Amino acid sequence: MAYPAGFKYTKDHEWIELSGDRGKVGITDYAQAQLGDVVYLELPEVGSTVKAGESVGNIESVKAVSEIYAPVSGEVVEVNAALKEKPEAVNSDPHGSWMVVIKLSNPGEADQLLDVTQYSDLVK
Amino acid sequence: MHTRTLDVRRVGRIEYAAALDLQKQLVEQRRAGTVGDVLLLVEHPSVLTLGVRGDGGRSHILATDEELASRDIGVFETGRGGDITYHGPGQIVGYPIIDLNPDRRDVHKYVRDIEEVLIRAAADYGITAGRVSGLTGVWVGDEKLAAIGVRIQRWVTSHGFALNHTTDLSHFGLIVPCGISDKGVTSLQKLGCRASRAEVETRIAVHFGEVFGREVLDAARPASEARA
Repeated sequence: MAYPAGFKYTKDHEWIELSGDRGKVGITDYAQAQLGDVVYLELPEVGSTVKAGESVGNIESVKAVSEIYAPVSGEVVEVNAALKEKPEAVNSDPHGSWMVVIKLSNPGEADQLLDVTQYSDLVK
Repeated sequence: MHTRTLDVRRVGRIEYAAALDLQKQLVEQRRAGTVGDVLLLVEHPSVLTLGVRGDGGRSHILATDEELASRDIGVFETGRGGDITYHGPGQIVGYPIIDLNPDRRDVHKYVRDIEEVLIRAAADYGITAGRVSGLTGVWVGDEKLAAIGVRIQRWVTSHGFALNHTTDLSHFGLIVPCGISDKGVTSLQKLGCRASRAEVETRIAVHFGEVFGREVLDAARPASEARA
């Protein structure tokens, strides 16, 4: 599965699709393959603040709970409630399955993320 | 070649809450690199524990609050995967606090590897245990011998497995174990194994080392079981 060129990526296998001072966040195809069948998502409340590199949610697969990390710091301004109802979409469409939207408190952080070439090299 | 070690700590009987604290400390230390890989082997007083999903399996408690109180059985929320389960005397509970970096970063493989350790340990006692597709855990026929529920934080593991050794299986009647209503539970004892807890712990430690490629440091291994 190709990694979208317009996204930024973390070494922890999250992606962020930036638009102005906001970014939609999800996990990559590589991450979903490592997890196996996703059965449950635990996402933060709208209005909560997150720090880059810290946990922004939990994802459960095969009786295992893993953490999702925030690619950037900021405020959670949207949560994908529909995805919580059908978490298996994370496996079938990882790059279309956004989990939260973060309003960046420090837009400069986005420059520290990997671009598609760097990320593709990382998971090669 | 540098071999990674696995420090096996036979903790013995410990309250569930105390074991949670211990795991939390070890996860922090493992992430900071101040400890190596650890396998905690513990036994809990009777307790019901819940997973993170939905209500964690609370609706799968069949007993009333009064029944639980009269048996002095608490209910704990945990951070692990899976549904409700029972822990209690006679059960060998294992909490591997290990770093899956750099070469074992695969959640599915980790869970399957834990199953493999327990399948091999059961085989040491002539018990043919296996997997049931789609149902994590170790099974003998239609009965579950060991339950698994784990948590992974930056590839450092916590929570783990619960193997029924001499467990009083009637306690599972308080719940729908793991939310699965059409399967039973079993124990090593019920399957004819007469080995002591210490012996079974030794076999688990040995197989854990084999499956995970770790050199096992098991200081508490009883001298009577040392093998040439």
